Amino acid sequence: MAKEACIIKGTKHGISILIPSGLDFAEVLAQLRARLASAQEFFTGATVYVSTADRELGPEEKRQLEQTVEEFGMVISKKEDLEAAAVVTERREEPKDEGGEATLLVRRTIRSGQRIWYDGNVVILGDVNPGAEVVCTGDILVLGCLRGVAHAGCNGNVHATVFAFRLEPTQLRIANYISRSPDEKLPKPLGPEYARVCDNVIQISAYQSSQF
Amino acid sequence: MGKSIVVTSGKGGVGKTTTVANIGTGLAQIGRRVCLVDADIGLRNLDVVMGLENRIVYDLIDVVEGHCRIRSALIKDKRLDNLFLLPAAQTREKDAVSPEQMKTLVEELKNEFDYVLVDCPAGIEQGFRNAVAGADTAIIVTTPEVSAVRDADRIVGLLEACELYEPQLIINRLRPDMVRKGDMMNTDDVIDILAIKLLGIVPDDESIIVSTNRGEPAVLDRKSMSGQAFRNIVRRLEGESVPFLPLEDNSVVKRLLRLFSIGGRS
Repeated sequence: MAKEACIIKGTKHGISILIPSGLDFAEVLAQLRARLASAQEFFTGATVYVSTADRELGPEEKRQLEQTVEEFGMVISKKEDLEAAAVVTERREEPKDEGGEATLLVRRTIRSGQRIWYDGNVVILGDVNPGAEVVCTGDILVLGCLRGVAHAGCNGNVHATVFAFRLEPTQLRIANYISRSPDEKLPKPLGPEYARVCDNVIQISAYQSSQF
Repeated sequence: MGKSIVVTSGKGGVGKTTTVANIGTGLAQIGRRVCLVDADIGLRNLDVVMGLENRIVYDLIDVVEGHCRIRSALIKDKRLDNLFLLPAAQTREKDAVSPEQMKTLVEELKNEFDYVLVDCPAGIEQGFRNAVAGADTAIIVTTPEVSAVRDADRIVGLLEACELYEPQLIINRLRPDMVRKGDMMNTDDVIDILAIKLLGIVPDDESIIVSTNRGEPAVLDRKSMSGQAFRNIVRRLEGESVPFLPLEDNSVVKRLLRLFSIGGRS
């Protein structure tokens, strides 16, 4: 299905039908009819609030809508309630950019062969395993163990940092700087660490909250 | 102009990657210029076995797609200056490269190296076709198991179809004690079925597991039995005639007896 012509939601006042703008009214009606028909008698007897977002319904359109809803045994509520219902209907708008940076939240472990690319910061709630790659233009935060390859500030931002609860990467890259893990086995890091570019090399330090 | 050899098996887990790492390191040890190519795109391992994983910046796919020059993708081994690795891409799939591209790539590498060893993925699909595309000869690795030998036989047939005749065989993970008891296929049983030239027999060896995990090929370990087997294979590849290892019973009693007999002679 293309754009949904109507959204049916249950609210504490009854059933709320949200009709988004920008769709042909006939199409809206047809879809609503199909949806209600597929639900069979589920909606029978329910009170319905119709919210039209920013669409203005003409009297004829309103009448057709009421007729359709009543056909399925539903009761349309009075106009004043309609406004109240509009408050509870969710408006799915893109959050306004208020100067914040774009950040991708990943709630899983990135495994070998998987690659994350993002224009912004990346936060991973999980591990980054060896053979996995995280590349982004901003900072990388791994709330877990970073064992794979991380490339922060990939478009040349030398101020980008890489943070991890356990920082044991195969390779770290920040902007144009590359460092790799030593060949000898190192003792495992005991706490959170972060990496940044200092004096033209990537430096890893223990993380203390006062530093950020 | 160097020589390109594909190491293949059909079945997975029989030791292709370990074989490539060891033969490659062995050849480099005797002064040959060697390039190892990992053709197992999406499931790369050769870099890990060689202990070079943390040096990878560009890979084989970057080269064939023209993102970098072949030189930038080659990783120099940390022990030997004349040994290089061209790693596979991990985040891509086998169809990211075509047999024609592989052929061009291997041809180019042959100009620079004495040996180009290609590590073939398990299976007989696209990955196999890519790996064998640029090869002059083939080494087939098998273990003395009916299933592995069956797959090896299939591979011999497929190689013939690719006009790669006379592949050579390595029997890996042979356990002399089990062979003696009749619990394992012996060398002759395997040769009977496959009817190809035997290049070497590598005994089952715990030190291989250690060396693989550590990223240090066993061939560098003078004390390792399998390392010795691989050194012999290297000499045979170089045209020497080397007798096969006497794979004796390695129980403590036998070893002690051998020790005494050697001591007695000197």
